[in-house]
Amino acid sequence: MEVVSPISLQEALALQTADSRYCAGGTALQLDWAKGLAKPGRLIDLARVPGLNGVKEEGDRLSIGPLTPLAELLRTRDLARQSPLLQEALGKVAGPSIRNMATIGGNIAGRSGCLLPALLALATKIEWLNLDGSSTMLLEDWLSAPPSHGILTRIDVGLQNAREQWTFRKIGLRAAFTPSVINVAGRLSLGMEGDVLAAQMAVGGGIVTPVRLQHAEELVIGRPDAAIDWKAVHACLMESIDVPADAFRSSNYRKKVAANALVHGLGGTVPGRTTFPVQLPPEPMSPPDGEVRLSRTDRPEAWHERPDVAAKAAGKLAYLTDTRQPDMLVGRILRAGVPHARIVSIDTTAAEALPGVIAVVTHADIKGSNAFGIVVQDQPALCFDKVRHCGDPVAAVAAIDAETAERALSLIRVGYEPLATVTDPELALAPDAPRVHEAGNLQRELHFSRGDPEAGFRQAAHVVEATYLTPRQMHGFMETEGGYAFVDHEGMLHMLAGGQHGARDRMQLSRILNLPEEKIRVVTSPTGGAFGGKDELSVQPALALLALKSGRPIRLQLSRAESVLAGQKRNPMSIRMRTAIDSEGRLLAHEVDVLAEAGAYASLGPGVLETALEHAAGPYVIDHVRTHGRLAYTNNGICGAFRGFGANQMTYAIECQMDRLAALCSISASEIRRINLRKPGMVGYLGQTVAPTERSEEMLSAATNSPLWSLPNGPQPDGEWIIGTGMALNYQGNGLGSVVPDPAGGRLSLAKTGMIEGGFGLDELGQGLLPLVKAAVAAELGCARDDVEAVIGDTATTPDSGSTTASRGSYVVWASTRLAAPEFTKKMLGAASRLLERDPTTLALAPGGIIERGTNSGDILISYRQLAARLDDAELPGVTVAYEFPKNDYTAGNSRMIFAFGAALARIAVSRVTGEVRVLDLHQHTAAGPVMDLAAYLGQIEGGAVQGLGFTLSENAPMLDGRYITANLDTYMLPGIQDAPRTMQSFALESLAAGDIYGPRGVGELGIGAITPAIANAVFAAIGITPTVTPFPPETILAALEEVS
Amino acid sequence: MTINFTLNGETRTADCPPETPLVKLLRDDFAMTATKEACSVGRCGACLVLIDGQAANACLTMAFRLEGADVVTTEGLDSDPLAMTIRRAMAAENAFQCGYCAPGFIIALAALLKANATPDEDDIRRGLEGNICRCTGYHSIIRGALAAARDVQEILK
Repeated sequence: MEVVSPISLQEALALQTADSRYCAGGTALQLDWAKGLAKPGRLIDLARVPGLNGVKEEGDRLSIGPLTPLAELLRTRDLARQSPLLQEALGKVAGPSIRNMATIGGNIAGRSGCLLPALLALATKIEWLNLDGSSTMLLEDWLSAPPSHGILTRIDVGLQNAREQWTFRKIGLRAAFTPSVINVAGRLSLGMEGDVLAAQMAVGGGIVTPVRLQHAEELVIGRPDAAIDWKAVHACLMESIDVPADAFRSSNYRKKVAANALVHGLGGTVPGRTTFPVQLPPEPMSPPDGEVRLSRTDRPEAWHERPDVAAKAAGKLAYLTDTRQPDMLVGRILRAGVPHARIVSIDTTAAEALPGVIAVVTHADIKGSNAFGIVVQDQPALCFDKVRHCGDPVAAVAAIDAETAERALSLIRVGYEPLATVTDPELALAPDAPRVHEAGNLQRELHFSRGDPEAGFRQAAHVVEATYLTPRQMHGFMETEGGYAFVDHEGMLHMLAGGQHGARDRMQLSRILNLPEEKIRVVTSPTGGAFGGKDELSVQPALALLALKSGRPIRLQLSRAESVLAGQKRNPMSIRMRTAIDSEGRLLAHEVDVLAEAGAYASLGPGVLETALEHAAGPYVIDHVRTHGRLAYTNNGICGAFRGFGANQMTYAIECQMDRLAALCSISASEIRRINLRKPGMVGYLGQTVAPTERSEEMLSAATNSPLWSLPNGPQPDGEWIIGTGMALNYQGNGLGSVVPDPAGGRLSLAKTGMIEGGFGLDELGQGLLPLVKAAVAAELGCARDDVEAVIGDTATTPDSGSTTASRGSYVVWASTRLAAPEFTKKMLGAASRLLERDPTTLALAPGGIIERGTNSGDILISYRQLAARLDDAELPGVTVAYEFPKNDYTAGNSRMIFAFGAALARIAVSRVTGEVRVLDLHQHTAAGPVMDLAAYLGQIEGGAVQGLGFTLSENAPMLDGRYITANLDTYMLPGIQDAPRTMQSFALESLAAGDIYGPRGVGELGIGAITPAIANAVFAAIGITPTVTPFPPETILAALEEVS
Repeated sequence: MTINFTLNGETRTADCPPETPLVKLLRDDFAMTATKEACSVGRCGACLVLIDGQAANACLTMAFRLEGADVVTTEGLDSDPLAMTIRRAMAAENAFQCGYCAPGFIIALAALLKANATPDEDDIRRGLEGNICRCTGYHSIIRGALAAARDVQEILK
């Protein structure tokens, strides 16, 4: 592609060819090209053409240069008077930084811009220059003519007058910074008598053809404002708006919300239901004693700045994907690109011959077992016999730079023999379904039952049965999978790639490479977010093979698009649940059938299914239960561990059932929970032994007493929003469970620097492991946080602590420290006593160093630094401990022993215009034992909440025929800042039951668990229907708001 | 194509295809990795830099647009009092977790506070609409930004 930068319009026109494209702000190009649109032969950059920039008021018009950036236009001093509609519309285009680059001309010339309906409603005229000369025309005329080559040279927007009603609305896939589902703009110019003199209505944005809606306009012109028949206008809009559908929203939805938005925005009433449930606050319960609000303001003394946050804010923290060295190669992976096919041949000769290519690897380079997987080793490091999903890796290349590596990938010839694909988990389990794996597509099947469910259902006064669907949520860590590797002069392979369990990565690599574990060092921290998605191997096998074959340092990081294609997602689930109560609301029987999708490989899918079923009854006592779960292979991408690990999906289902059952027997959501709650001292749901601390009742009482119940609810005076408040309880197990090995360990040692090191083979993923280590070690030893240094995430320097998953890290750090502390303290005091020539029993560890026990002076007899300096390396005290994470002896299935408890309350608003749900206020109550580090704990609760909010309202990675529909963050809707609730508060109840020896629980997953059902129950409270599909389809909600005929 | 521009106050020359995104020049050619890359299509804000004083997505800024431009990256903000004030306030509030989005958020905030030193929460939310954070749920970032605005106002007094 050639780029030319003309300095005059004439030159720009002369440079035009059949294969040229004009470029204004250029902000759409990267996305266009990423989507596969061909680059033009010539890009004609208009930025240097003079006279195309600036804004002038001329009579009753605003004359705008097309190259004026949107941000500059938005800053125009009088824009709020000149055209508030345009101002409103400008603020809805992309985000602030993009508006600095994107221009109004580009927004128009692309013919799909968000501004088009606004400009149409503002009777915009444009000046258009082509080889025939310059002409002025109405924007709508230009839009209705076929696209042709030319340059937009002027945009004239009509000024708005004070006596007009106007509206602009962008309906998107999330609250802001979103692709447009449809945009509407409307104006009514009113005469002195209130009659409509003129009207403009328009739609556009994204895939919607930008047009004026003249039929609807005609219905209002000439009428007194108060006498407009909005019902007829709405019907006319429904008739005349012609819009296509895409994978995200139907044509009918787009039409309906556009009609609603125009009618509502111009002063009419949206058709549909006018009566809604009346929500009353629940009966009060006694609030739990000792619950505290988690905030810096409330507890300044407990607030500690994270050791790594200043470096992160300054961009000085080096992630493992940030390493650049002059001799470093760049790796790229060849993906299958087809969902299911037999590999007939792989020819790498052309790629290997390309100058700059240093190594190409395929399955033939694998010396060990070409299979990995945390639970089941069913995933090839590089495919050899067949590919099972589009993202399957087939080969990898190391080259001198990224361009060469990518070019080399395109030269690898893989012969495929297509196989029938199966992309629906239910169909995958049919007897004649194409087999993803030889042994069949049923990866796992689990049954559990007790009591006599049939008898239970026979006695039922009420039964609720529903099927809850949960999404293929993407982890969406900001740092995509990647890192670097090299082989040192002693033949040791160093693998530095973000992960969640270095020791297990090393073990899996050892099997694949047939290299002893002692010859592999794995570094997994720091990592830019994981959430379970970096628990399994991703880039490491290819990276290792390339490093070994090339003998040179090599880096490899997935682009976001490749991460979407090849990375793990949350296992989609279909949960059919049938639950019975008696006439007073007591739970009688419960039947659950889960169909979960594994995708092409198992990874931790079996564990996710087990965990979901372990939470099937919620925190309630149900005598008669039958559960059944199946995990099916398909050719749809890969799935695996994700924060919540099945528990949050199941909690969504059971907690929605509870509110629906409560409504059926006319008791409150609080009451039905109260009478069915588990009690302290009971065995676990599966009959397993559990830790003594049971806090569901306290969580319920905290939620019941929440001030959120007293805030305004119901239909709001604006005619659009209907507010409701809902709650849900949850609990989350810690640790991997009773039937899987779950080794833990850690180390305390004095470093030569004088720092007391807490060594753990755990990872800092952002969750706050570093402050936790400082807090736990300081609290246990009596030293200061500043005396402690966390040494983590490196198999060369830390013991195996197990995985940084399953909310287990907090316990591991705390328990290891407690286990090691007595001996470590003894060794420290022993060493000090020899140097100080004092009886060790008279000494104690204190902030900064060693003091005389029992004195108040605080005088440091010897600082840690002095102590370390005076000891030989071999004399430096150190204690390493290893043990099994606490588990019970239940072996009939996997079960947890230690739990944390929570409750969430959501106050939400449902839009009658769009069917969208916005979370206004979110409160979370937690009981997870002592809070070790306030900021880290709060961060996990808040962060989990908004991830849960995304799961509930906007996040899904749908697939069609084995291919992702969404390729990047342009359509995968991670929550943005405007999706975050207006207010959030988090609380903790720190006490443990008498005799509970298990200390602080991890809260990595607790915060996500109750969010979805709290929001769903709030929707139920507001409009009387429970959304059973996540993310909630606005179309379903809108349908529920329609008039009941 | 040869492009001359100013990078953190120094004259730099890049010789690359004209459509090369600035983020690639920074991270791969100049080994300046404080600017992060997380989507490459302008939809996350991790790669924000300042170009001629305004926040811009380095992944959307193609090399040919840089001729004569003044580019300031996260590395170039170490001597900027406004950015340093923001960084300190965000760190004190533990605004970030994994931190991969942090440099982009700081640039967006610097641009916001330069234009409006007394933002309220709504202004902050609007100013940060283009930045995605996956870890925090945004409230720690809002608290940090409000604290940063207070600190900036103190300095301006």
